[in-house]
Amino acid sequence: MVDATTCGTTDARTILHVRGLAVSAGPRALLRDIDLAIPERRVFGIIGPSGAGKSTLLRCLNRLVDLDESLHVSGDVELDGRSIFAPDVDVDTLRARVGILFQQPAIFPVSIEKNVLFGARHLRRLDRRAAADLAERALRDAALWDEVKDRLDAPAVKLSVGQQQRLCLARALALDPEVLLMDEPTSALDVQSTDAIERLIVRLAPRCTIVLVTHDIDQARRVTDRLACLGLRDGVGRLVQCGPCCELLDGRTNAEVAERLGGGSCCD
Amino acid sequence: MRRTLDRFVTAIATTCAIAALLVIGGIVTAIAWRGAGALSVEFLTDSMRGAGAAGGILYNLLGTLILLATALAVSLPIATSLALLHGVYLRSERARERLWIALTVTHGIPSILFGLFGLLVFVRILGFGKSWLTGGILLGIMMLPTVSVALAERIRALPAKYVETAAGLGMSPSRIVRSVILPQCAGGLVTGSLLGLARAAGETAPILFTATVFAGATLPRGVVDSPVLTLPYHIFVLSQDSLDPEARARAWAAALVLLALVLCLSLAALPARLRTHEEARHG
Ligand SMILES: Nc1ncnc2c1ncn2[C@@H]1O[C@H](COP(=O)(O)OP(=O)(O)OP(=O)(O)O)[C@@H](O)[C@H]1O
Ligand SMILES: [Mg+2]
Repeated sequence: MVDATTCGTTDARTILHVRGLAVSAGPRALLRDIDLAIPERRVFGIIGPSGAGKSTLLRCLNRLVDLDESLHVSGDVELDGRSIFAPDVDVDTLRARVGILFQQPAIFPVSIEKNVLFGARHLRRLDRRAAADLAERALRDAALWDEVKDRLDAPAVKLSVGQQQRLCLARALALDPEVLLMDEPTSALDVQSTDAIERLIVRLAPRCTIVLVTHDIDQARRVTDRLACLGLRDGVGRLVQCGPCCELLDGRTNAEVAERLGGGSCCD
Repeated sequence: MRRTLDRFVTAIATTCAIAALLVIGGIVTAIAWRGAGALSVEFLTDSMRGAGAAGGILYNLLGTLILLATALAVSLPIATSLALLHGVYLRSERARERLWIALTVTHGIPSILFGLFGLLVFVRILGFGKSWLTGGILLGIMMLPTVSVALAERIRALPAKYVETAAGLGMSPSRIVRSVILPQCAGGLVTGSLLGLARAAGETAPILFTATVFAGATLPRGVVDSPVLTLPYHIFVLSQDSLDPEARARAWAAALVLLALVLCLSLAALPARLRTHEEARHG
């Protein structure tokens, strides 16, 4: 097994520390013995075959797993050295600090601006001016401002899927998260939109820690600094390898990487 | 073989649909035929005179509307709470199932039993006498299953991604109910209410002993001993007891007004219902 130290040694401070995390659904184990140290303000990649529990792991990091009563989590996740499962942790505040972006954009049937402010508005009071400023800043951060600036009141569902995904990104960024979890954010997108999101990831990393789940080894090569590989062992997701992206991927073809990671079934 | 079966099934379905439409069309035509003669603006704006043989049905119409408004006020908050209990707050599958069964059973209770229940509890024990409030409450309870099931179905059909996304933005469960679930499922509430009201508008049995009289009431002044006139009871009494042809013609006209009211309520629910189907088709 991989020990946490090989994964944690980096010049940056560790912001999220996963220790001995295990998740089960009733009698069935989904994830076991996950130890990760996620460095601050870097792009941390997670790859692995379908069903290895990448999404489940990601949802543990901001306790979205709580929504599903059938899932049982043991082990610990520390954010800034404090357990996120401690009884005094306010889970809503935690989720605002650790934002998440899903594979499919989920747009609320309201205007573009309202979508951007959907979370922010419920966390703190915003007057008109502050709201407009915040919406503009978030949309600029998500590289969507120029495309939507003169139709902020238009229904957001009319946007293209790629734009919708950037809108979701803006919505998450409007909360000023310390960590942003991304669950295959580009798998529903075409090449151009994927490119736009990848550039955004690289641009955001110096401000905000990014944990990126991806199927795409090339994408991992392009944007991640460190990489954790999950694999399936007897149907249970385990950490197979973890280390700097260059160490794991450089000088190898995708096929070789997939081979090393999980008997050929790792990534498409 | 499959082709033939397909056609056979289509033919049967079409026949049934046409038969149903013919029955509805027949009822509407018959009522319109007999009622249209006595219908006029005065009929709607005049109060009843001469035991239904003269004047209009102003207070009957208003009374029915008062009952419906009260029923809506009673059933909306309760139905919303029940639907939220079912779709959001109840964690155990068993509890949810029980709630669903309770709603189904309520839906199946014969309306005369609501009337007897109301007579016992409100009229006798609580001492309301005949009162519009009792009628409104009873009709509101009768509507509960329709309204809460319509809302609960919508909540169940709401894709989980919305709730997940909202939770991921740090919104508390009660925030999510207010800002995501209720706004997106409000259509179910509207549809359910309109259909429930359409049914309640024509109910006679629950209000018979509890809320309505044939004559001698206008607008209610209080709660205790303040019955209202209503359309269904008016029609019921005239068609059963009156031998006066003039009064009987007016009963048909009153029936036509009631039918129009019910049709309006049902038709108003249509756009929201069609929208649900659209959404179901396109995700
Ligand atoms: N609520 C749940 N109850 C039971 N099993 C679950 C639940 N959620 C996830 N699983 C199971 O956990 C395993 C991991 O699922 P997860 O979605 O985390 O995989 P993944 O690595 O993200 O896969 P993909 O790459 O296809 O998205 C799957 O076998 C899935 O069936
Ligand atoms: Mg996944």
